[in-house]
Amino acid sequence: MRPYLLQGHERPITVVQFNYDGDLLFTASKDLVPSMWRSEDGQRIGTFNGHKGAIWDLDCNRFSTRLLTASADATCKLWVLETGECLHTFVHRGPVRGVSWADGAKMFATISDPFVEHNAKIMIFDCPEDGNYSEAPRLEIDIPKVGNKRVNPTNIQWTAFNEALLVSFDSGVIKLYDPTNGELIDEIVAHEKKINRLRFNRDKTLFITSSADFTSRLYDAVDLKQLKEYKTDRPVNDAVISEHKDHILLGGGQEAMSVTTTSGKVGKFETRFFHLVYEEEFGCVKGHFGPINALDINPNGRNYASGAEDGYVRLHFFDKSYLDMKDPVPEADETDGEEEKTAAE
Amino acid sequence: MTMSEADKLAEEAEELDGYFSDAPLDPKPNYPPLHETFEDSVVITNLPKVPEAKVEKLTKVVLKLVRRIGSLAENADIDFSGLHMPYDKEKGSTLGFCLVEYETPEEAKNAVEVLEGYKFDKNHELSVCLYTRALKLRRLKTEEYQEAQMPEFVEKPNAMEWLEDPNQRDQFILRHGRETVVHWFDARNDPVIDYDGAREKDAGVAWCEYYCHWSPKGSYLATLVPSKGVILWSGKNYDKAGRFVAPDVKLVLFSPHETYLLTNNERREDPAAIKIYNVATGLLLRTFPLYPDNFPQDGPPPPFLWSHDDKYLARMGNGLISIFETPTMRLLDKKSLLAPDIHEFHWSPKANVLAYWAPERGNSPAHVDLIEVPSRKKLRQKNLFNVAKCNMVWQNEGEYLAVKVTRHTKSKKTLYNNIELFRLNESGIPVEMLDIKDAVMALAFEPRGSRFAMIHAENPSSTKVDVSFYDMMKQGDPISVKGKKGNKEKRLPAKHPELHKVTVLEGRQCTGIFWSPAGSNIILASLGDTASGTLEFYNVDEGTIVMKEHYRANQVAWDPAGRTLATVVSQPLEGGHFKFAMDNGYILWSFQGKQLYQQSFEAFYQFVWRPRETLLSKTQVEEVQKNLKKYEKQFDKADKERQRALYLEETKGKRMERAKYREVLARNKAILKRRRTEYVALLDGYDSDDDANFDIRDVLVETVLSTKEELVM
Repeated sequence: MRPYLLQGHERPITVVQFNYDGDLLFTASKDLVPSMWRSEDGQRIGTFNGHKGAIWDLDCNRFSTRLLTASADATCKLWVLETGECLHTFVHRGPVRGVSWADGAKMFATISDPFVEHNAKIMIFDCPEDGNYSEAPRLEIDIPKVGNKRVNPTNIQWTAFNEALLVSFDSGVIKLYDPTNGELIDEIVAHEKKINRLRFNRDKTLFITSSADFTSRLYDAVDLKQLKEYKTDRPVNDAVISEHKDHILLGGGQEAMSVTTTSGKVGKFETRFFHLVYEEEFGCVKGHFGPINALDINPNGRNYASGAEDGYVRLHFFDKSYLDMKDPVPEADETDGEEEKTAAE
Repeated sequence: MTMSEADKLAEEAEELDGYFSDAPLDPKPNYPPLHETFEDSVVITNLPKVPEAKVEKLTKVVLKLVRRIGSLAENADIDFSGLHMPYDKEKGSTLGFCLVEYETPEEAKNAVEVLEGYKFDKNHELSVCLYTRALKLRRLKTEEYQEAQMPEFVEKPNAMEWLEDPNQRDQFILRHGRETVVHWFDARNDPVIDYDGAREKDAGVAWCEYYCHWSPKGSYLATLVPSKGVILWSGKNYDKAGRFVAPDVKLVLFSPHETYLLTNNERREDPAAIKIYNVATGLLLRTFPLYPDNFPQDGPPPPFLWSHDDKYLARMGNGLISIFETPTMRLLDKKSLLAPDIHEFHWSPKANVLAYWAPERGNSPAHVDLIEVPSRKKLRQKNLFNVAKCNMVWQNEGEYLAVKVTRHTKSKKTLYNNIELFRLNESGIPVEMLDIKDAVMALAFEPRGSRFAMIHAENPSSTKVDVSFYDMMKQGDPISVKGKKGNKEKRLPAKHPELHKVTVLEGRQCTGIFWSPAGSNIILASLGDTASGTLEFYNVDEGTIVMKEHYRANQVAWDPAGRTLATVVSQPLEGGHFKFAMDNGYILWSFQGKQLYQQSFEAFYQFVWRPRETLLSKTQVEEVQKNLKKYEKQFDKADKERQRALYLEETKGKRMERAKYREVLARNKAILKRRRTEYVALLDGYDSDDDANFDIRDVLVETVLSTKEELVM
């Protein structure tokens, strides 16, 4: 089936996200207006107008009532989903790189880039339902420079039960902070190069990192151990764990700045499908003519969206052969005759 | 006292009168000039030992010989001829040596060089050395000869072990990053690592720090470690089979039968830039400077080339070819082969025949010469006119030689090509000329065959080129013969030598042609930085073409069997430009053009198949081809069995991995389940597992799948 091409943005796409129920798709780009789409037919429902800078991240809450957007204009805005009205603007000291709702949506965390004399900062804001938003965050964690070098965060996520904050950095490091007192709990070197994205699966038992070192790695969210590694030959910008199959989708491609020197054919701007356990690539979907910056699979498992440097969002529906696909390795209790058949193929 | 004491004294004085006189003596004594040293003398040993009667004759003969080199320090006054032949009176014979004194030390040195090894007669080969050196030698302590202890026999690893692989797989080696890895490949399943230098890694060293090379028969792997030299590895475990000291080594060249190894460090100032070693003993046989004497140093150094049977090693010099004989590494017959104005030469791959060409000089035309070694007989000479350049290509069996001649018109403004084709196995070596109006970019003979392919185009810089195929032998029309029962039968006559065009492929994109070692199949590839990377798999017999692409490929390598080939994007080890970093890697293809495997590396330097000898003769190959069906079944069965074993193995491993993953996931999920109430509390008591939170309705959706109108009568 031909994918829907969502032509709502004028600049490179930075993030795409389905809501919890899978009926809505949010997209943001380096232009100023995040958009909301119907995930079934690719119709645009509306936009959220008000930001004055590129949108780096967004997050929709569990019950699809509120949306948070993080922007390079050093603000984070809270929107009413139904009306597109901006409820509040949370002012930061630098471009806001990431935003994430805590479970229960009573608070959220942001991460801002270092700016002028300010270091990178993690902030946790309360978000009470009565609309009494305080300007001051509940907690502010300063991330000091390492030596003389500024530290650039790339992503922020809450772990299960809001127990900790996971922050990824462009040095390839992941740090774990305590959201009650701001203490650094743990630190792991996950990659050799920049981590472009860190995201959990739905129940937060696993998380996956995507890095400029051409790999993506799957981690156990409980004891922070690396489980798997997916190798490609281009930088990986986003990776997502499928909820319905043991599959991983990877997106990336040759870096945007060196794209002009190569033809679209060799940039490898494709969504790659890997088997989660065996780390084998078994398929890819082509179509974009710039590196893929963002990916998400619909929680209902019927389609997935990819957003790229070319400014387009493509909404692909999985075909029947994919949906019917079985694990290449039969379960142990299946007969040996089955194996025979597969071996003969 | 008849005579007084005084008288006696007076008498004595008278007798001695003039004896102590200061007056000069008369006649003047003719003293020989006084020599401080004996540098002008030589000792000749290994002369025949003769009785007194023959001394005079021997002296005469030796005198005649030594006088040819220079004049001796003769002195007629003291009856010294310049030669002294000691005679042992007790034994009654000469001692088998003599001393010779020349007038100058130069003559003496020359005598050592010329007379050393001179065959005096059937049983006596002279040995000559300077007298000064003989003195030194005398001072050497003489020890009683003790028979050398034979070192205990240590069995060397079987260098051919890899050929006994039960799965008949081929091997290749990769150099990427800091790694050097040998792989097995069976053209079906993914490559398997055979050895990656693990033992050396454990010891904290790299087994290869520069390029690596297989020996021509695949017995040895030579890895280059510039700080030390060359290390050879062989056998199942890649044990060290030899070490050759060659600091800064850049190149190695094995002799075709792997007896000798040449190392080259490409340093101009090093008088021993090139070293020749014996592979088995590790002995250094001879060293050479990078350039021969009197050779212009502005161009690249002329390469050393081994003859096909390891007997000779030859290098071009200024107007000559120096041929060195193994194992002595002495100049063959003590003189180089004169080849005035020589530009380039090549050995025949299967005979001791040299082909060289020289451009026009004055009134004499340019010529291509075929010379037989060691007789130095000129087998064939072909004169050519208006020649700008020649390129020589041998067929791998040495049956044909093609010389691409680039000619200029009389005005010298435009260039055009023709091909001179030599048939080495016909008597008199006939030469045919193939006239091509176009520029010829590449030419290659089919291995073990009679066909050749060439790339040509009107304009050498055009992107679209033609590829023509010619056959040196022609199959005549079938002739009718009366059979046994009087029936007419058609029979194919034997091929006869006649050049004819087979086919031409027009308007292709390619820069290189690569025949399969098994013949019949050829790859037309467009290689290099700016090219498209198009690959065409052409079967010359069937005329079928499969098009594929490997972007930026810069190398095509067939495996020794012609079963698979690799296309490679690699970068030079030195210079370190990483512009291919994204594309670096290799792809393995079946000979039909099916992609079998692909691997990428950030820094990729080398891909080399392990060569092996073709052990079957031409007729044996034909025999196999006839019974192909029989072998096919056999191999198919083996393949299937192997496939199944591999599948089972893999499945077992995968199952284990899956079980491990599922365990982790289950543990994590159990934690969530245990703390479910905490989660529900976070969501203000909303529990998505509680059906009460859902409003369940049945909805009927009708979809029209298709409509069909039928006319009911």
